[in-house]
Amino acid sequence: MTSNIPERSARWKCAARMAGLMLLFSGMTMGASGPAHAAEAPPEPGNATIRLVRAVMCESIDGYEPKYIAVAFSINAGRISCYTLFDDVADTTVVDHKWYRQDELVTTKRLTIKPPKWATYSSIQLREEDKGPWRVEIWNAQSRLIKTLRFSVID
Amino acid sequence: MNSFFAFLLSIRWQDIIDVLLNSYILFRLYVLFRGTNVIRVLAGIALLWIFQRMAVALGLIVTSWAMQGIIAGATLIIIIVFRNEIRNVLQAKNLRALLWEFPQKSEVMPIEAIVQGVYELARQRIGALMVFPGKEGLDEMIQGGLQWGGLVSKEMLVSVFWNGNPAHDGAALIQGNRVTRVGGILPLSLRDDLPKYYGTRHRAAAGLAEQSDALVIVVSEERGSVMAVKGSIFTPIGDNVALERILAEHLGTARAQDDHLSVRRESKELTIAAVICVLCMAGVWFSFAKGMETLTSIEVPLEYLNRDPQTQIHSTSANTVRLHLSGSAALIGSLRLDQVKVKLDLSSAVSGQNSYMLSNENIVLPPGLRLNRIEPSEVKVALDVPATKEVAVQVDWVGALPSGLILESAAVTPGKVKVMGTQRILDRIETVYTEKIALENLKTSGQISVALALQPRALKIAEGGREKVEVSYAIGRRPN
Repeated sequence: MTSNIPERSARWKCAARMAGLMLLFSGMTMGASGPAHAAEAPPEPGNATIRLVRAVMCESIDGYEPKYIAVAFSINAGRISCYTLFDDVADTTVVDHKWYRQDELVTTKRLTIKPPKWATYSSIQLREEDKGPWRVEIWNAQSRLIKTLRFSVID
Repeated sequence: MNSFFAFLLSIRWQDIIDVLLNSYILFRLYVLFRGTNVIRVLAGIALLWIFQRMAVALGLIVTSWAMQGIIAGATLIIIIVFRNEIRNVLQAKNLRALLWEFPQKSEVMPIEAIVQGVYELARQRIGALMVFPGKEGLDEMIQGGLQWGGLVSKEMLVSVFWNGNPAHDGAALIQGNRVTRVGGILPLSLRDDLPKYYGTRHRAAAGLAEQSDALVIVVSEERGSVMAVKGSIFTPIGDNVALERILAEHLGTARAQDDHLSVRRESKELTIAAVICVLCMAGVWFSFAKGMETLTSIEVPLEYLNRDPQTQIHSTSANTVRLHLSGSAALIGSLRLDQVKVKLDLSSAVSGQNSYMLSNENIVLPPGLRLNRIEPSEVKVALDVPATKEVAVQVDWVGALPSGLILESAAVTPGKVKVMGTQRILDRIETVYTEKIALENLKTSGQISVALALQPRALKIAEGGREKVEVSYAIGRRPN
């Protein structure tokens, strides 16, 4: 997985940028539906500039929407994504998606978000040895943990 | 030369006591049993033991095994066969006699009185059978009779064999200046070359003489003749001078007739015996304790002692150490792992990393073994103070859902638990996981109770915490 990070990073940067632009031009409709398992986060104290509206794990992003939202993903899915939607973005800023397998940090994805509302996501390619419990931590630019999504990679 | 001095310096005071004590025991056994057949058999067993040790050293497995069996059997046999002699030695003597007294050699035999007695018996045609033991014990050969302790005199001998005496029929055993036994029954000779006129008395004399080194004097009742029997030789005694000479030769007093010489000879014999005992025991000790120096190495677990109960051992650089030992093959061969201990005193240890150099003081060894080297010689022990931490709980799903289903969400109650462990462990842990939950059997949404799988094992649920959590899950149909 680590060897794919540069390539993957380039891909998700491009996709995130596109998703962000598309969301901007499509009237910000993505925040309307909540995630299947992750409740909407309350406004973070000390972080009034952005608000996490939605954060879910899914198998793919289709039509600017997360598809196949779940907490257990088959290794056969091939790829999984962490989708996040932010509101009340005052200025252009960054968030980090930190991917952990058990308690071991696997990769960190830095994503740019722009005012006023922005959706973005990061993805990883699944391999046989990736089975087990995972979590993705979402951190803001002030290095404050906003949300943790927990899921498993299964057979 | 240096190695000789090194050897002398390696001898401990316990070794000297060991050799001297066992030498004395051996010497006492000799003193108590000298003159009996037990000593000869013991010497035979000792010889067998030496052969057995040689066979072991040469790697002759079957021979050494057979020798061992023979020695064990012989030891049993010696107790059974010589039970009377052993009993006599142990019963007849008090504790002082057993431990340090030297039994005096028998009183000087009054040869003149015996000669006079024999010829008085011959003159009166009174049949007599007198036994003068040599160095061998006769207890096994002489049956029956009465124990007695009368001083030897001409009159006494005549009265012993007088026809009116109830104990006249049989042999009289004469030891020193006393008649120790009367009416004894001797084994009869089976020889067929004896003259026909020899009666039972002569056959009995021949029987005992053949089987021992005793001298037997026979006085014929019919002819009044005197006959000395030793070994298989019958010697007719013509006069009192010849009898005196034969008795003196048998008793070994022909040349050393005065007591002073006898005492000197006995002292010399005991001194030689004592020196041989010391040499034997020194040899045995050397073969056991020092001989055949052997090297070995064993892996021994480290024992950590006196740890502050407020702290826990977080990690150690070694849980076992390898000890390189030397000692005799016998000691090394009989070494058991539980006899060796490596102890590390943690009373001065502090929280964090502690380093210890292992030395002889940390090692407990059986006596006689020496420590040459310790691997590793340094041990690092990290101690930590237990602490608690609240961590998130995550479900560990495994397997695969039935086709067409998707696990949409899951919630754990409680979402966090408090765990206890050393600070170093807690610093690395953010999440605890449940036991694995197989998805194969889940078809609809529901709730299950599942235990927590705490890793590492040193991690515990804090006091009052729950060992199980509730998992609510939602299963939906996978959209096309």
